[in-house]
Amino acid sequence: MANIAVARIKREFKEVVKSEEVAKCHIKVELVDDSFTSLRGEILGPPDTPYEGGTFILDIRIPETYPFNPPKVQFLTKIWHPNISSVTGAICLDILKDQWAAAMTLRTVLLSLQALLAAPEPDDPQDAVVARQYKETSDIFSQTARHWASNYASAPHREPVMDDKVAQLKNMGFDEHKARVALSTHNWDIEQAMENILS
Amino acid sequence: MSATDSTAGASGSGGSTQGASGSSGDAPEQPDTSTYECNICLDTARDAVISHCGHLFCWPCLHQWLETRPNRQVCPVCKAGISKDKVIPLYGRGSTDQKDPRDKVPPRPQGLRTEPENNANFPGFGFGEGGFQFGIGAFPFGFFATTFNFNNGRPPPPGPGTQQHGEEQFLSKVFLWVAMMCVVWLLIS
Ligand SMILES: [Zn+2]
Ligand SMILES: [Zn+2]
Repeated sequence: MANIAVARIKREFKEVVKSEEVAKCHIKVELVDDSFTSLRGEILGPPDTPYEGGTFILDIRIPETYPFNPPKVQFLTKIWHPNISSVTGAICLDILKDQWAAAMTLRTVLLSLQALLAAPEPDDPQDAVVARQYKETSDIFSQTARHWASNYASAPHREPVMDDKVAQLKNMGFDEHKARVALSTHNWDIEQAMENILS
Repeated sequence: MSATDSTAGASGSGGSTQGASGSSGDAPEQPDTSTYECNICLDTARDAVISHCGHLFCWPCLHQWLETRPNRQVCPVCKAGISKDKVIPLYGRGSTDQKDPRDKVPPRPQGLRTEPENNANFPGFGFGEGGFQFGIGAFPFGFFATTFNFNNGRPPPPGPGTQQHGEEQFLSKVFLWVAMMCVVWLLIS
């Protein structure tokens, strides 16, 4: 039995490859191996967001039942966003779950994720800590998200104050990523962050 | 319009999908072969069926989609309600369809054949979804229509002399009689 999933991915590949967004470098899909079941996606952080100019890499797994069931997608690039786990990169997005429809394609998925970066849904969070920060202190959220994007997704806009705080903890011998998570979680209060790491 | 383009931007839980529809006209080359592509496998539709919302699929593809989500049967493109009974098979010239499509697995739903005349004669007599409705006033007429419909419908009427023919004639006489009684009763009351 020829696998419909593979046949479809091959067709979609051509579609995405020749689409406008690719020409503008906004989205991209690549094969990981010859199986067409494991793919690598790439989206550009949308303008006027903390993710602007960052390159976010996605792990895409095509189930055997594709396109009747959605692809399994998660962020490989670390990101600070209410609907994406800052730990695992798992995504909370309706179309990747019960709102999936068989006519959707990798292209729609990548564009939807790009739209999600531009418009978070804090009321249906994946990462509760980030969601709370987004709702309660949106300034700190934006700066934190920008700080993560510049450090992990090569986004051009840096947050020097935050970079300094991470560097301080790093110089004290803490792991850089752990320090960043602790600081981000505790609204950049160094003492609270240290307590958190040591506890 | 590329047929492969899903604009099904489901709002609702889990994050916004607006903007996901993107620009749909971005495949300018190739004179529209994509118009006849199945919205699920993206290949030329085989055993094609079309939904009431106008979206084209291979019947096997759509069938599998409906089987995958028995509790949430929506059009894979626009998310309008959809079901096995609400798709129309397309018969192109030279399509394989001289064979009975039901021989295939899964069977493709049959085309809907309505009789053109009956529709006009009795306004207020709904053909649509299989539920007959008639108002009080039109009641007897509605009744007539259903009895006549027996003979006008799909299965060709059995030839005269057969037992079934006799039964049907008897039945329609009974109906006619009942209807008359109704009229009389209406007049008296
Ligand atoms: Zn198909
Ligand atoms: Zn539709």
